[in-house]
Amino acid sequence: MRQADHTEVKQWLTQRGLADVEPTPLLATRLAVRRHAKVADSLLLAAFLIGAALTHALSLPAGGTSWLPLLVLAALVVGLLVAQWLLGGWVRRADQRAGGELPRRVAHPVELGWRAVLGRPHAMFAIATFAGALLLALSVLPIADATLRNGAVVVLIGLAGTGVGIVLQLRQVLASPAVAEDEASLTADVIMRVEDARALVTPSLVWSLPAIFLYGESLGWWNAVSVALVVAGVIALCLVQFKTADVGTTARRAMATR
Amino acid sequence: MIVIDAGSPTPPYEQLRAQLARQIQDRSLAVGTRLPTIRRLAADLSLAVNTVGRAYRELEEAGLIETRGRAGSFVSAAGEPALEQARRAARDYAAFIASVGIDHTEAIRIVEAALAVTGSPGTDR
Repeated sequence: MRQADHTEVKQWLTQRGLADVEPTPLLATRLAVRRHAKVADSLLLAAFLIGAALTHALSLPAGGTSWLPLLVLAALVVGLLVAQWLLGGWVRRADQRAGGELPRRVAHPVELGWRAVLGRPHAMFAIATFAGALLLALSVLPIADATLRNGAVVVLIGLAGTGVGIVLQLRQVLASPAVAEDEASLTADVIMRVEDARALVTPSLVWSLPAIFLYGESLGWWNAVSVALVVAGVIALCLVQFKTADVGTTARRAMATR
Repeated sequence: MIVIDAGSPTPPYEQLRAQLARQIQDRSLAVGTRLPTIRRLAADLSLAVNTVGRAYRELEEAGLIETRGRAGSFVSAAGEPALEQARRAARDYAAFIASVGIDHTEAIRIVEAALAVTGSPGTDR
């Protein structure tokens, strides 16, 4: 293992209360895959936001009567969701490959459900964020502005796709095989599971969609609400993270069989 | 925690059965605890589904776990009567040892030899 990888894994372990655990190539591989996936995910989201904003801006002079921009926007949303799904699958496959090389496999004797891994506060936060964005998009639909209505339709398509994508990916995170060779790597495995699950329900697209698409010919209450949803969401997320146990503690609690 | 060592001479199903049985007996796995599905545990431990299925079947036959259809497999309350039966059998054995005049060290050695032959949970055959 390279010195840089060793230092990085050691730092990761120390930050999660596993300072006494020695970094292993298995952990280095798994963390590197996650790091690359996180960068790729951020780039995908940035590309989506730029593409969506460009499509939306270029279609505005047409007065929102054409279906083409709407189709392009919907295709962008679907493309982003598919790319995110593939990225998640790539991480799981890399984990499985790393696990397949272990001569000794370790697992937890109890099934870890969503309550133990994700936790109720994070789940409630995700549902509330979705519900807020969904209600906003639905309440904008009756407004006469065609551009705004088209935007609301894209938000609804995006939210539906994101919702399904998160549920499916969360299922994958919970059901993916444990990749561990001893107690320390099993704890690290559960920590990664908790982090992956929390990252999935942390909204990025759900906050971005209303802010980008609910923009009509004039500013209205919907613009204020979409910004307020993001501000309230950030505050709520900070509170949830502050009030709930850190990932290390959550993972250890999930591992306690009694 | 369940550990499957590919280099061990003990077959994987027996490693799994013995470890689960020990955890059920020593209450690390409480009565009513839901065990992972056979497919899930097989994936976690990189074992064949049939291997995990055999371990579960033997645990079920021993009354340590029970399968409730699609709800999954759970640690059975039958594990506790099994312990009580074992204690009763031990009391009978102790009474027999006293009646025939065998000393304690020899009596324990006989039990250990018998356990080694039958393969108690956590002991390699």
